[in-house]
Amino acid sequence: MSIGRRNDLSDIALKGSLYLIAWAAVVLLLAPTLIVLIVSFTDSYSLRFPPQGFSNRWYVALFKAFTLHFAAWNSFLVALITTLLCVVMGTAASLAIARSSSKAARCLDALFMSPLILPGLAFGLSALIFFSEVGIPVSMTTLVIGHTVVCVPYVIRTTSSALLQLPPALLESAASLGASRAHALRRITLPLIAPGIAAGAFIAFMSSFDNTAVSLFLRDARTDMLPIRMWQDLESKLDVTIAALSSVLVMVTLVMMVLMEKLTGISRRIRG
Amino acid sequence: MHARHFDVTVYNLRYGMPLAAFFLLFFITPLLLLVFVSLHNDTAVSVFGLGQYAKVFGEGLALRILGDTLWLGVQVTLLCLLLGYALAWAYVRSSPTGQKVLMMIIVMPLLTSVVVRTFAWVVILGRQGIINELLLGWAWIEKPLRLLYSREGLIWALANVQLPLMTLPLITTLQRLESNLEDASAALGANAWRTFRRVTLPLSLPGVIAGSLLTFSATITAFITQSLVGGGQMLFMPMYIYQQASALQNWPYAAAISLVFLVAVIACVTLFSYLGRLSKGYTTT
Amino acid sequence: MDISRRRIMQSALALGALQLFPQLSMAQARNLVFATFTGSWEEAHKAVLVPAALEHMKDANIILDPMISVDQISKVMAAREHPPIDVMLHDPGPALTAIEQGLVEPYPVADSNFYQQLMPEAQDPMGPSIFYQIVGLTYNPETIDSPPTSWMDLWKPEYKGRVGITNMNSTLGTGFMVELAKLHGGSDSNIDPAFELLKTLKPNLAAVAANPGQLASLFQQGQVDISPGNFNAIQILKARGVPVEWIAPKEGAIAFKTSIHIVKNSPNRDLAFALIEASMSPQVQAQLMEAPYLVVPTNTQVKMAGEVASSLAKDQAEMKSRFLLQDWKVINQHRAAWIERFNKEIQV
Repeated sequence: MSIGRRNDLSDIALKGSLYLIAWAAVVLLLAPTLIVLIVSFTDSYSLRFPPQGFSNRWYVALFKAFTLHFAAWNSFLVALITTLLCVVMGTAASLAIARSSSKAARCLDALFMSPLILPGLAFGLSALIFFSEVGIPVSMTTLVIGHTVVCVPYVIRTTSSALLQLPPALLESAASLGASRAHALRRITLPLIAPGIAAGAFIAFMSSFDNTAVSLFLRDARTDMLPIRMWQDLESKLDVTIAALSSVLVMVTLVMMVLMEKLTGISRRIRG
Repeated sequence: MHARHFDVTVYNLRYGMPLAAFFLLFFITPLLLLVFVSLHNDTAVSVFGLGQYAKVFGEGLALRILGDTLWLGVQVTLLCLLLGYALAWAYVRSSPTGQKVLMMIIVMPLLTSVVVRTFAWVVILGRQGIINELLLGWAWIEKPLRLLYSREGLIWALANVQLPLMTLPLITTLQRLESNLEDASAALGANAWRTFRRVTLPLSLPGVIAGSLLTFSATITAFITQSLVGGGQMLFMPMYIYQQASALQNWPYAAAISLVFLVAVIACVTLFSYLGRLSKGYTTT
Repeated sequence: MDISRRRIMQSALALGALQLFPQLSMAQARNLVFATFTGSWEEAHKAVLVPAALEHMKDANIILDPMISVDQISKVMAAREHPPIDVMLHDPGPALTAIEQGLVEPYPVADSNFYQQLMPEAQDPMGPSIFYQIVGLTYNPETIDSPPTSWMDLWKPEYKGRVGITNMNSTLGTGFMVELAKLHGGSDSNIDPAFELLKTLKPNLAAVAANPGQLASLFQQGQVDISPGNFNAIQILKARGVPVEWIAPKEGAIAFKTSIHIVKNSPNRDLAFALIEASMSPQVQAQLMEAPYLVVPTNTQVKMAGEVASSLAKDQAEMKSRFLLQDWKVINQHRAAWIERFNKEIQV
């Protein structure tokens, strides 16, 4: 039961200003995406908004932009393999440290989560120097290694969160009924934390695909990464094809997000 | 129930060994190598010495760029705080459907590439962009404003890009706030502003700190936005590191400034965490 | 059986995917990485040079990795054993550095069909020159009332907030600063007068571009109205409906020759050879000379015609006499220090 509030001037003023700013924030969040979507249909070479004519020529140009396809495919492959590595190693690590209160576990937890806090650029530079000194040339492998380090924290975070929500009673009753640890892991734990792992895998995949800090240092023309290719194209020419590409990426992300929300309630898990 | 020899809910630490080994080889070793390389006086990495750090602290340019970068982080975080707090406040008071929609709007940018989001701002802030077109159309200005490659434009673009990071922790915190407290405050005679100032705001401090930490860290390392919207005349730490490492191939110096940057970031994170712990204590008394 | 049917489906899907996206098979074919310049050269090479070169290559792809000269040097020096670039394009200064540092292979002149057709100045066994860049002033005739006539027009107060320049990482930027210095008592080895003048130019600056390609895009966006610029950049902008014109300042326009090199330790030497042959051939040079690319040819078999002839020079001899040349050997010694100083002083 809520006590009747005084709807006096100060109340309205406060509520009004907060709602106003909130609306401004929503516009700020939505407008850029909408503007890019609209500009991608311009028929001219400029990014003038609103566009003076409409056409889908830039989507046609996108279809023929082989360098962009090449970079997109590379990013996709790297993200896929990175996610695989992250899920395997990250889940194992989560199992080890999530419920443990030992000092070693806390240290490992801090270590594994530290890439989230440290500037990715510093790590990217250090990885480049490392591979160069060791004599390993830049390749998809080095990219995957670099991306795995910065993306595995996401998997660990969501998986640990799911593990912590797992009722211990389930595992205890399984043990008292005679199930071995391995059996319980396979039949009880993993299926129950699967949505958490999936959410982490999704975030790790998107994080790797969109990664710029590490890709910047570890990529070259033969292992081109899409965000860096887009950035360099934007820096050196005004290519409206990038607008078309951006719209496509936004649409794909939107669809995937709605799917993941249905499957794993991902927005809940991102909040952590 | 008698005591067990082991806890079935905890797994052996050795499950974490593969990742630990991976991190040791590909995370810790490179960082140590970075420190090692920074301790050389020449670009060929042959003369050992503290020359790079002498250059960083003596020459002053790196420190000025670092200071400017941190200040940019503060400016963006404050703007984000204003926008994000209002957004989180509105979220908590929305209907369930409204909340679903708002959550999508807030989370989507996090999953979209930063290049895409920044590109949108190049379109918005340009001389032929929407803001200038609107202002010219309403005859508020006669000539287009320089918004792109300006500090103000950069702050707004960064605030937009990082807004979700600020909003999500705030939503979590505000949701946990008991509405009874606000009602109680009103019943005791406080007007809306006083309730907000004395009850809501202090209790949401942990969320404010958490959101500010994320926003600040992300802003100071956001080199794509800094370079696309900031332009060539505003140099910040990320681009400075990249220029020194890539264009000038001066690895020891680049290593030195990235370590200085790293230490600065860790210091800020520690400060924020300390403030966070303080605020949590404050809210539970 | 289920398994074989599934396998057939999978391979069919994979093949279908490869058909739909032919460049996925890029991974199997050999990739020649050509580091061309950003902006108009990337456009010109993508449209003319790459298709011409591909005709002589089997089962290969040419990947353009646009970057300015100094960046190319950095990237190759960082990984000499496994260079990320196969063919480099260089302005005079970086070309000297590349040769000195042993980053390039001598060009197999004896096997070449077109090397002997080049101007004597363009012939260099370590890397032939395939075009000249001419730098003057680029401006927007719709927003600038009277066309500029001198380098110093950039300092006019009415151009406040409308001038664009590139930083000294690009030859355009360095050439401009050196020329500026020489007009005010400096030389190829001392450009302090230019740095002094830079301080007074700052209020007029709308943007400092990272490379010539970005400078062109600033015109396209309407962010700048006047800048030092390359002759061949304008026609492509004009074709896009951007109002731009180019003039040679009364003090003289600056000319650089641009050379193309095979990178040492490149695994694709034969492909690199085919690309460079194509770039020297009269057919490609003639096509690049025409609108909208307007690239100045170095092959003597190509008669100067069109806009290049009317705006710049009737033939190679006249070109040599009309334009200013700079001593890059001397400039190279100071360039790194100048780049750092420029980046420091240009900050707002």
